[in-house]
Amino acid sequence: MPLDEYDKIAHLLRRAGFTAHPDELEAATARGLQAVVEDLLNFERFPDVPPDPEILAALDQSQDTFNRMRGDFLNRLTRWWLHAMATTPRPLQEKMVLFWHGLFATSVAGLEFWQQIYLQNENFRGNFDPDTGQLLRPAPGNPFPVGNFRRMLEYLSKDPAMLYWLDNQFNVKKNNEVGSNENYARELHELFSMGVEDVVAKVPNYTERDIRQASRALTGWRVLPRSANFTFPRVFSFDPTRHDFGPYEHLGKRGGNNADFIFDNIVRHRNPGQKQSAVGRFLGYRLFTFFGYEDPEPEIINALADVFDGAHGGEPFNIRNMLRTIFTPGNLVSEAFYSERAFRARVKSPTEYVVSLVRLLTFDRATSRPEGISSSSAVMRLLSNGMVQMGQQLFAPPDVSGWREGLAWISTTSVLARFNFANDILALQVNQGGIDLTRLMTQARLQEALQQRRYGEVVDFLARLLWQIPPSAEAREALIGYLQAPIPNTSESTLVSQKIRGLIHLMLAAPDFQLS
Amino acid sequence: MSKTTRREFIKKSGMMALSVGLSQQAFWRHVRAASESVLTQAAALSPADRILVVIQLDGGNDGLNTVIPLSGSAASLYRQYRPTLAIPETNALPIGTDAAGTLLGFHRNMQPLKELYDRGYVAVIQSVGYPNPNRSHFASQDIWHTGDPEGRKRTGWLGRYLDVTSPSAENPLLAVSLAGTRLPLTLHAEHVLVPAVGSVANYQFRTQPPGDHQNKIRAFLALNRETASDHVLRKQIQLVALDTYESVERLQSGIQRYTSDPAITYNPQNSLAQALRQVAQILAATLGTRILYVSIGGFDTHQSQANTHATLLARLSEAVATFHADLVRLGLDDRVLIMTWSEFGRKVTENGNQGTDHGTVGPQFLIGTRVKGRIVGEHPSLRPEDLNPGLSDPKFSARAIDFRSIYATILEKWFLVDSREILGGGFELLDIL
Repeated sequence: MPLDEYDKIAHLLRRAGFTAHPDELEAATARGLQAVVEDLLNFERFPDVPPDPEILAALDQSQDTFNRMRGDFLNRLTRWWLHAMATTPRPLQEKMVLFWHGLFATSVAGLEFWQQIYLQNENFRGNFDPDTGQLLRPAPGNPFPVGNFRRMLEYLSKDPAMLYWLDNQFNVKKNNEVGSNENYARELHELFSMGVEDVVAKVPNYTERDIRQASRALTGWRVLPRSANFTFPRVFSFDPTRHDFGPYEHLGKRGGNNADFIFDNIVRHRNPGQKQSAVGRFLGYRLFTFFGYEDPEPEIINALADVFDGAHGGEPFNIRNMLRTIFTPGNLVSEAFYSERAFRARVKSPTEYVVSLVRLLTFDRATSRPEGISSSSAVMRLLSNGMVQMGQQLFAPPDVSGWREGLAWISTTSVLARFNFANDILALQVNQGGIDLTRLMTQARLQEALQQRRYGEVVDFLARLLWQIPPSAEAREALIGYLQAPIPNTSESTLVSQKIRGLIHLMLAAPDFQLS
Repeated sequence: MSKTTRREFIKKSGMMALSVGLSQQAFWRHVRAASESVLTQAAALSPADRILVVIQLDGGNDGLNTVIPLSGSAASLYRQYRPTLAIPETNALPIGTDAAGTLLGFHRNMQPLKELYDRGYVAVIQSVGYPNPNRSHFASQDIWHTGDPEGRKRTGWLGRYLDVTSPSAENPLLAVSLAGTRLPLTLHAEHVLVPAVGSVANYQFRTQPPGDHQNKIRAFLALNRETASDHVLRKQIQLVALDTYESVERLQSGIQRYTSDPAITYNPQNSLAQALRQVAQILAATLGTRILYVSIGGFDTHQSQANTHATLLARLSEAVATFHADLVRLGLDDRVLIMTWSEFGRKVTENGNQGTDHGTVGPQFLIGTRVKGRIVGEHPSLRPEDLNPGLSDPKFSARAIDFRSIYATILEKWFLVDSREILGGGFELLDIL
């Protein structure tokens, strides 16, 4: 059964962003699917989230001072990003920053200078120039998060956090077969661009020798250890005295005198007899898995790879074009994206779980946007702490291959963590920094409905808000039963507030809210 | 709320086939192999009675200062390489000689473990590591967790053991991790869910207000039992939610069965002892738990190592001895095997900060009443030609023991299963069980 326009838009908003509040849905439906897609894709039309002045100030602290507060810095940074995701008018940009963080997974656990992880996040959103170490909003030429992938590889290879995390910082000329450190060269091929095997043809994409030769080309790429303007290493530097000028033999080609040769070879690499590039397929697979569903069909992967390769005359290596293909109705890929197979079939990552929750519950119908939370609020603290329990600490992926997505998010531990997190966030009263549920109840006229025991109405409204689908008869009955069940020694007025909080808690812990 | 929540659910929704999948054949093959095994017949314990407790020494334990060479070239080179960090001979507790005749001793802070060793309950396995060692904590830990030096496997070696032997596990507490809230990769499985409990006290559904708890739990269970949709993902989530509920209930009610003994004190300042106390609680509750996982951090001693390391060894040793005494009291000691591991040893040469950098091989311990207490293998050679060039850490040489030999020995001789499928190959079995 194909999705109707309402479901399609709800699906798009949830996947390309974080939530579809019924009011947003109404406004989006009035504009039509195509217009909504273009707004999401061309997010530059809307204001970017501002940087946090305290984070910027921390970058200027001496290293000793910074190191004493680096745990606080990381917490603040996490809250800032989560707050950005919860409130941004550019949801697809934030989604893509999250995507790149999962793909180019870099962890503070391997960094000496934690400040660098913030620069990387700004790099992912297009606000960092690694050649100067400057934060600019936006930085001219920075291709992230939806630009030219060939250039992204370059920007990521020059990223200070990445240079430290995967040791390319220490990669110096050795001999004609190897650089002194191949860690980055390996992950560049294996995890960041094409994968060990061609996603469709299942043949090896490269050899160990290709890795070693690439590590030669990446020698001398490092971070300037000191610079007059900055308190920590953040400026990319090419050191010709440490560099091996080639020529290299890489992916069947011979030549080059620097890593440009490697990046060019990577993005153009096709295995014998294959029409599509290996990177196009890899990214097609990763993007569709992230936005659509797991294990997409080869036709979908190939169609996205064709877009990446510029097979239809578009700019090659362009990520935005791939996203446009996924979201714009009327092609093979978007048919799959808007299919029943994709609908409500993505397990929310902890990030998506907490962000969607806070976005929906703080949405103010008067201003049509989330209100009443700052990045320093108690709610935001709960968010970042809760996510650790759920298995996703931003800026600290478990390893360089990132987080395992999908059902891997659902374990006994994380189920409990989600349940308890929802309980804690609902238990916080407004005067403790909690979410303003009175506003929600008043705006939805839930108070009257509750007092008059029109419980079905309450459940239906909240299901539409939180799940965007009507509850099943069984779920409806269970939730109505919950509202009816008394709490001993509780006055009527307290009871109403406790029951509404309890109901929302249950709906956030229910299977329907775990899926997007 | 009945104890059979999950089983009923499985029956109702036909999930059995889905969760058993292809492993079923393998499962029965292993059951047969185990029941026909001479070992099974010889041993008084059935495979189902055997318990493994894993202790991870997180950060890379300095093996050379744990099991100290006291004679021969190893001893003299050791003192030469470590002018400030070498443990003086008088401060070591001699435990005997290895296969090459080198006299070895425990660090002086390991007296409680030495007592267990003297009773024949500790196997000291020397020079354990893997070929082409990776000195990254993360990479090396992953290798130990997965049992795969190629780094390709995404499940843990014990996770795969659970998958093979109990693919449709009805008991949600078959294995429990008490090492934080993130499940160690060792216990990641394809089919079996292992709870990362962190602390038993916190492993509960929090609800507010308290008077509404039963109402909420009832509704939560109803939402996860509803059959309206046949969506596979949804069903999986429901299944895990019900599993979680059951594991919480079983754990919280079972834990009441443990009573402490004034003669056995788990040091409240020792986090490993506290974790092992919870292990004892779980075992005393007879919840059918077969594998328990705990960890102790702080072994990454790049600077001012001496005191830190001495304290850590004291904690390890004290905690294990207390736990063993408690197991004896509970009548469980012959059913429990304790294994320690750490991702790598450290370099022979001390660095410029009275610490040591990441190395390769190190000693590991197997502890328990049923263990053949002895020294296995040889102390790593410290001769310059046997060290990795420029790195000053012992090579993974012919005399080293592949860590998977320990895994294989535990799988074959303790759990009585064929280790080859789990480890992706056959490994030499050690004479320690």
